[in-house]
Amino acid sequence: MSFEDWFRQDRLPHIYCAGCGNGTIINCTLAAVDAMGWAKEDTVFVSGIGCSSRAPGYIVTDSLHTTHGRALAFATGVKMANPKLHVVVFTGDGDLAAIGGNHFIHACRRNIDLTVVCMNNQIYGMTGGQGSPTTPRGCISTTTPYGSTEPAFDLSELAIAAGANYVARWTSYHVKELERAVKTGLETPGFSFIEALVQCPTNFGRRNKFRQVADQIEYIKAHALLKAKRDRLLEQGERIPEDMYVVGELMRRSRPAMGLAPTEVKP
Amino acid sequence: MKLAIDETRCKGCNLCTKVCPYKIFKEGKLPNLRGIVVPELDRPERCTNCRLYHLYGRQLCGVCQLTCPDQAIHWVEEEPYEPHKVAIEY
Repeated sequence: MSFEDWFRQDRLPHIYCAGCGNGTIINCTLAAVDAMGWAKEDTVFVSGIGCSSRAPGYIVTDSLHTTHGRALAFATGVKMANPKLHVVVFTGDGDLAAIGGNHFIHACRRNIDLTVVCMNNQIYGMTGGQGSPTTPRGCISTTTPYGSTEPAFDLSELAIAAGANYVARWTSYHVKELERAVKTGLETPGFSFIEALVQCPTNFGRRNKFRQVADQIEYIKAHALLKAKRDRLLEQGERIPEDMYVVGELMRRSRPAMGLAPTEVKP
Repeated sequence: MKLAIDETRCKGCNLCTKVCPYKIFKEGKLPNLRGIVVPELDRPERCTNCRLYHLYGRQLCGVCQLTCPDQAIHWVEEEPYEPHKVAIEY
């Protein structure tokens, strides 16, 4: 069995633009879910609104397509109502950081047994390229035509600070590592947050000097700084380049989790 | 096993040409009926998964399939090679 069996074949091809990285992230997530060996009846995919949140519509399992930013709130309800279900949340950066930011930090604080895969394309892709909280400084979007002047949100650092059990960040170029990270997140009891940077050729790349999809992939690949290397640089007291972002497993700990299935006590 | 691209799903983003370690995928030249330039396969028998899937009994490499955002790349089973008798009439 491969991850292709988890797709609704009659719904494909999906409506994502040519070169959009969201399809890659769905592949990696489904490959990890497939490797866990879960039954399709026991798995629920939840999403909010946005490009990334169309993902559960292409998956055969039960799914919830909920209101904007409230995917985590609905997922919490699903998990608390039936702790035996495996809940995976697909969400985007506008969904998670901008509108659902409050739900995000409180889900991290409660440490509910969810796995959240955030497809961070650094822009509101579906509505026409408005600047999102994760748009890097100086990047052009339709609401920041002279370049964004605000510092961007680091979602992984936020999740670590708020108390998530497992936090990792990878990109749509690092598919194998991302698959492994999602699998570790699924195995971890408690809140697991996997941030995946994806390319958005239509609304981000087009305005920011990445005319071809490959250009943005090359940029993402070249500016990823492994966590081990970041730690080494910090040890040697060297400066970390400002335009690089850290990838890798950023946090793994075992705080008490909420919403775990009660283990059956044998008499 | 044989590598195949599903032309009804491919959107021509050419991401597969970036990730294959053997550079099996080449940028296509002619648009197909849907107006999409589908990548061409350059000697696909070099693919690791094609050669060794049955020997190892599991998926190998598979980066192109994971990377393809449109789920267009897959492997199909091949009929084993059968020598044909050719009768030559003089």
